[in-house]
Amino acid sequence: MAADAARAAPRQQGDLGPEAAARLSAWLRDYRTLPGVPDELFDVMRRPRADWLNLLAGFAEYPETESRSRFAAATRHIRDTGVSYRVYGEETERSWPLNPLPLILGHREWAQIAAGVEQRATLIEAILQDIYGPAKLIESGALPAAAVTGSIDFIRAMRGVAPPGGRHMPLYAVDLGRGPDGRWWVLDDRTQAPSGAGYALENRLVLSRAYPALYNSMNVQRLAPFFDGMRKGLVASADRSDPRVCLLTPGPFSETYFEQAHLARYLGFLLVQGADLVARDGRVYVRTIAGLKRADVILRRVDADYLDPLELNGSSHLGTPGILEAIRTGGVAMVNMPGTGVIESRALLGFLPKLCRQILGESLKLPNVATWWCGQPAEHERVDREFDNLVIGPAFNTYAGSGEKSRPRLIADLSSAERATLRARLNDRPGDYVGQEVVRLSTMPVLRGDRLEAAPFVLRVYAAWTPEGFRIMPGGFCRTSEIKDVRAISMDASARTADVWVLDDKPTESTTLLASKDDVKVRRILGHLPSRAADNLFWLGRYIERAEATLRLARSLCTSLMVSDSAIHSSGETLEGLQQLLIEWGALDKDAPAGSSLEAARCTVRDQDAHGSVIYLVRAARRTAASMRERLSADFWALLLNLETELTDAHRAPQSEAEALEQVESALQILAALSGLSQENMNRVAGWRFLDMGRRLERGINACRMARTFAHDDATTDDLDLLLDLIDSQISYRARYLVGIAMIPVRDMVVLDCFNTRSLAFQVETIKHHLKALPTLQDDGMIEEPLRLLLPLSTDIETTEASYLTIEKIRLFEKTLMYLSGAIADRYFLQGATAVPTIKLASMG
Amino acid sequence: MIYTIGHKTTYSYEKPVGFARCVLRLTPASTPTQRLLDSSTAVSPAPAGLVIGRGAFGEETRTLVIDQSHDRLVIEARSRVDVDTRTIDPAGSAPWEDVRIAALESRLLTEAGPAAYLYPTRRTPTAAMITDYARISFQPRRPIVDAARDLMTRMHAEFTYDPEATNVATPAIEAFEARHGVCQDFAHIMIAGLRGLGLSAAYVSGYLRTNPPPGRPRLAGADATHAWVSVWCGANGWIGFDPTNAVLALGDHIILAIGRDYSDVAPIDGIILAPGGQHIKVEVDVVPETELVAAALLLSDA
Repeated sequence: MAADAARAAPRQQGDLGPEAAARLSAWLRDYRTLPGVPDELFDVMRRPRADWLNLLAGFAEYPETESRSRFAAATRHIRDTGVSYRVYGEETERSWPLNPLPLILGHREWAQIAAGVEQRATLIEAILQDIYGPAKLIESGALPAAAVTGSIDFIRAMRGVAPPGGRHMPLYAVDLGRGPDGRWWVLDDRTQAPSGAGYALENRLVLSRAYPALYNSMNVQRLAPFFDGMRKGLVASADRSDPRVCLLTPGPFSETYFEQAHLARYLGFLLVQGADLVARDGRVYVRTIAGLKRADVILRRVDADYLDPLELNGSSHLGTPGILEAIRTGGVAMVNMPGTGVIESRALLGFLPKLCRQILGESLKLPNVATWWCGQPAEHERVDREFDNLVIGPAFNTYAGSGEKSRPRLIADLSSAERATLRARLNDRPGDYVGQEVVRLSTMPVLRGDRLEAAPFVLRVYAAWTPEGFRIMPGGFCRTSEIKDVRAISMDASARTADVWVLDDKPTESTTLLASKDDVKVRRILGHLPSRAADNLFWLGRYIERAEATLRLARSLCTSLMVSDSAIHSSGETLEGLQQLLIEWGALDKDAPAGSSLEAARCTVRDQDAHGSVIYLVRAARRTAASMRERLSADFWALLLNLETELTDAHRAPQSEAEALEQVESALQILAALSGLSQENMNRVAGWRFLDMGRRLERGINACRMARTFAHDDATTDDLDLLLDLIDSQISYRARYLVGIAMIPVRDMVVLDCFNTRSLAFQVETIKHHLKALPTLQDDGMIEEPLRLLLPLSTDIETTEASYLTIEKIRLFEKTLMYLSGAIADRYFLQGATAVPTIKLASMG
Repeated sequence: MIYTIGHKTTYSYEKPVGFARCVLRLTPASTPTQRLLDSSTAVSPAPAGLVIGRGAFGEETRTLVIDQSHDRLVIEARSRVDVDTRTIDPAGSAPWEDVRIAALESRLLTEAGPAAYLYPTRRTPTAAMITDYARISFQPRRPIVDAARDLMTRMHAEFTYDPEATNVATPAIEAFEARHGVCQDFAHIMIAGLRGLGLSAAYVSGYLRTNPPPGRPRLAGADATHAWVSVWCGANGWIGFDPTNAVLALGDHIILAIGRDYSDVAPIDGIILAPGGQHIKVEVDVVPETELVAAALLLSDA
């Protein structure tokens, strides 16, 4: 960091060392802008702008390799903390597509953008108030009713409903591009559930970590105050103090799930899915392990149509039946209100300039792309006349599956047959289409390798309603295109992102989300654990424990092969028992030809298709963890990822017993670190208890199984010896019993010994302790089902003498544990083993 | 004409249901051509909560929650409705192209305006095949009522009524291709065709007065719920077209609810926590009051 600190002083081009100066001048020399397209770096005379020059000079001072490694390290950190995993379950996860160079916006320029965005947000709120209120704009003819009703996000059921806090749209985002005239243009409004603010936070985190001195020297405006204001605004919309704020997500399959999880964690909100909520008596509740708890404010990332299967899209599984009724009666504050998405219709764009003058008495500060809604005869005619030079797009968001017309198309790109079809459709249903001018974007510099190149970009800016009025995030989410085509229409999936630095004219005060003294009420437990989280944690625990047990079995397979250690369980029967257990667990295929033990060990650990292999279990654990990223520490996540990499790395496929053993050992070490982390770094609240109960339950079941397999009535010394290995109790046993290995003491140690942390008895005692500490739903002092099952088991274990411990009894213990798992699911989780499915009532036409 | 209507729905469950949340749309609408005289709804088992409200399309809704275990749910609605009898001159209506423009220019955002029923929905997606079928009836400048009546008549002639062929979830395009279905399918197909041409058409659920065969008494529960299409005809307002029977709704049709498609007007919509299957039985009686009077006279004679 010392080298970095030396660069902290503001610099001039002239102050650069010779190497840096050479890099900078090479960048500028080779930078090619596109003809007729404005550029952020160069003005029309090809002179670099001062702020950009300052930034590039700062970058040039990091030697290329250092710069790259700094950026890579910061990016990796973000990747390791998991926030960048964009597509759930995708096999090859994408790397974080972030540009090392931010977009720079000067103080004055930003003031104009911010004023324009605020004006637009104010205008849109007024239009929403009218559409969902008196509809005067429609009655007066300023806005045709049909320009509103075509959108799937026009929620008729919300007409006449007063939004909590008086606002329909507390959160707003807008996509901007710089047009050929150098002005900023509005490309799209995001009024339903704007995404990307979480990515903006992450991008900022990467860049400020990679280049701290440069970042600090440039007076970059901070993002934290914006999020603080946003949170205060959300809290203020509740009707009681200290409200429970939930972020409603479509779930881990959503494209931006990790952004949502990140945002929830950053803002301290509860991340919930539709099934976690219950609407009852005009209010909304979260299902938690302590019963139903009120949800006061819901920040939604689910599209309106999917919110309520009872009133809206009946096939939605993302919503909560009855939630619309709760919104109508004011029992919950939803942000944004259902129905705000209606503004995203392109049909409305053409009306905004006039509406702005009519409603606010001023012109739009940020013009939007010229747009003609074909539902109006004159506009239809005009579009028909200029057809070949326009972009024709759908006027509205319609329901999913409405197919081919959903994407705006540049007519010039279409075949003549496609044109004829489109024209015929346009004539049949003109109201479905808009004609738009082709938008051209400007370019900004991006680094590719060590070359500076011009890339077209779009900037998303965010506004949030706070108790002090609209606040605009000083920064944003910038996407740059990999294709050198400045028509906005070609901004596609190949986009990368860039941080956005808004510069201040005075040094920036550093603020974070530290609350002032009087805001903070000391609390030790963060609300009640949602049932879904309890479920996930419990299974995470079970997966991790099963992976560990399977690794131990694989380790024994490996050691049985080592010639040097031939004394230890080399007998055929023991090996057979080992393989049989692995087959029962689904780690080995029973129909596969009996290969070598090395092959068996390799499959046990790395076979991706076997549902009991270590890699399969680790992936299951990772997926479960991924769906509750906001609850796990970055270290926990990083270890889990390491483990997966360790096991899948193709270069590391073991070629010999020794290599296989080494890999198993190192995987076991990572698992030990994971256990240590959850024991030492997790707060002793309900979440930790479920994770630990999952582990204990699995470990208890495994202890029984192993005892039945290797300590059965005809077990050999080899069998018993292996069993002690598997439960990690060789040393304790030898210290305790000098006589050598014998059946009764081994069974006692594996099953009944409450001092042995690997025994069944120890697991049962620990689970009992957890269950007693968890909240109860009974107010009559009666015990709940899980304890009702566990207490007799615990007593039975405690009072059984080792010499009377039969295999039958061990089998009984194991069965009770399985029932216990079901009872825990029934009591605490959303979908217990006996859960009753929710179905639609049958209907008749 | 005044009608007395009984509409009884019985759900029988294979295994007891512990929770149900339903929305009922069983109160006939009040429209410019019909007046609701009175109505009542009885639900068994008794709901834990019942809220009377207005649905998105102006219909009266009763939202109820049942949280006691039950193996039968019975919902019985009774109402009296006065329906006007009217006549229409199909040739006197405006050319359909003018009506299309007028609908796009409408200044009414409420459920009474044409703008609410202009766009495709999940159950009535526009499909080139259906639009082209409808287009045959819509020659340039043809008066809209005349053209829509022609489409209705063609459908009645070319489609087969077959209750076994489709169910409540059959998509319009499937029923169209097979040229068969029930009133719900025919209404959806006709709506898709009209909307495909840019016209405003609504789905109407309700009842149709049926006449027992001559000399035979009316059988209790023999009637059924019905569905037809309401087309916005510009200055002529909303006019009902019944493609199942090739008649205009001019006095024999009693409107329950109006929406964009079946989903907006389903008489009973709901979710249940059901461990087993369910069976539904619907019984409907539509009795003109004149017959009631006649029956009373007969009784007094006897």
